[in-house]
Amino acid sequence: MAKHSPVIGRYVTIDVDGYEYKVFYLRNGSGTPILCQHTAGCHNHQWRGLLEDEHITKTYDIIAYDLARHGKSDPPHNREWWKEEYTLTASHYMNFIIALSDALELDRPIFMGSSFGGNVALQLALYHPDKFRAVIPVEAAEHAPGFFLDWWRHPHANAAQVCASGVWDLMAPQSPDMDRWLTWHYYTQGAEVFKGDLFFYSVDHDLRGKLGNIDTKRCPVIMMTGTYDFLTPPEATENTARQIPGGIYIEMEDIGHFPMSENYPLFAVYLNEALRIVEART
Amino acid sequence: MVMTVRDWAVRFGEASDRDQTIGAMARYFTCAYMWDMGTQKVIVEMVDGKVYRINTDPQPLDAYDFVLRASAATWREFAKPIPAPMYHGIWAASFRRDLKIEGNILIMMQNLRNFTVQFELLRKVGVPV
Repeated sequence: MAKHSPVIGRYVTIDVDGYEYKVFYLRNGSGTPILCQHTAGCHNHQWRGLLEDEHITKTYDIIAYDLARHGKSDPPHNREWWKEEYTLTASHYMNFIIALSDALELDRPIFMGSSFGGNVALQLALYHPDKFRAVIPVEAAEHAPGFFLDWWRHPHANAAQVCASGVWDLMAPQSPDMDRWLTWHYYTQGAEVFKGDLFFYSVDHDLRGKLGNIDTKRCPVIMMTGTYDFLTPPEATENTARQIPGGIYIEMEDIGHFPMSENYPLFAVYLNEALRIVEART
Repeated sequence: MVMTVRDWAVRFGEASDRDQTIGAMARYFTCAYMWDMGTQKVIVEMVDGKVYRINTDPQPLDAYDFVLRASAATWREFAKPIPAPMYHGIWAASFRRDLKIEGNILIMMQNLRNFTVQFELLRKVGVPV
């Protein structure tokens, strides 16, 4: 008897600022939708643990998509994208997420993303609070400079290995070897977009001085960061959450920057607490 | 008690040469790097994935491609079985602690997979400081 996962994959075509994207997403569960964004230079397999979590999918509809140019979501089909350098902007990123949510007819989903997905969650809470029930920025901060580097696509080095091993110690040493190496494996697959993603992460994303304008009564913000994250260390997230009126910060012990893929059972403990807070506030 | 640098070199060389993760992709792992541990420096020369030589008494003109410099205290943190946050890797410690990475960084990047695995062998082998 074949062992099938309950997770289903589909494609949907959307228009974002004139760019035609055929977007791949994985989905499982029923109830309140949670839209899940992977980290920079990666894809939706990072959410494999959550997608098959029977406890959470009983009451939540988990949708983990590949951002355009990542995983099975192609670059735009209506543009000669190979003639332009890819640099993701906050505006285009947010418009993509909203267009996808609308195409799937989601009713004010919870948005959760990690790293550059966490940073865009903060942007969504600020600029589009009525589109989302709540946001859960994971490993996020108001500003995250320092990772927009040429090394990610240097032609004299093996870019796949540079990206994968360059993010290796963003993970905690306690996380299981299998899960850390799977995350490494995912990171060998996105070298060409990693730097362009990090344009958003380290350059275009800058909410310094703006966090006080986030209205958590309309869109609650529950931030979570692992103690082994050197890129967005716990104090950076805590400082960000403190500036958001009503913002919540949860510190995750003994885990790093890719909590959902490096150690899902531990991440789930904290995620359940975040979802409990969302339920209490919405 | 701190092990002698010669004892360390033997242990580290053996650990690296029998490491299966390095062995799985060792063929072009060829470079020379220095670890400056404050009170002790070593130059490790790698050839096709094997430790060719460990220079435990580098002189001023001894050559290497790149170097990692940090205090002895930081190297002792690197060598703990489970390092504390921000001492758990070369990126973490260079972003958040006193580790400096200097020299021809391109060569480090070209060998980053195996060099990272090798660096973490310190958790099993220890450091001579």
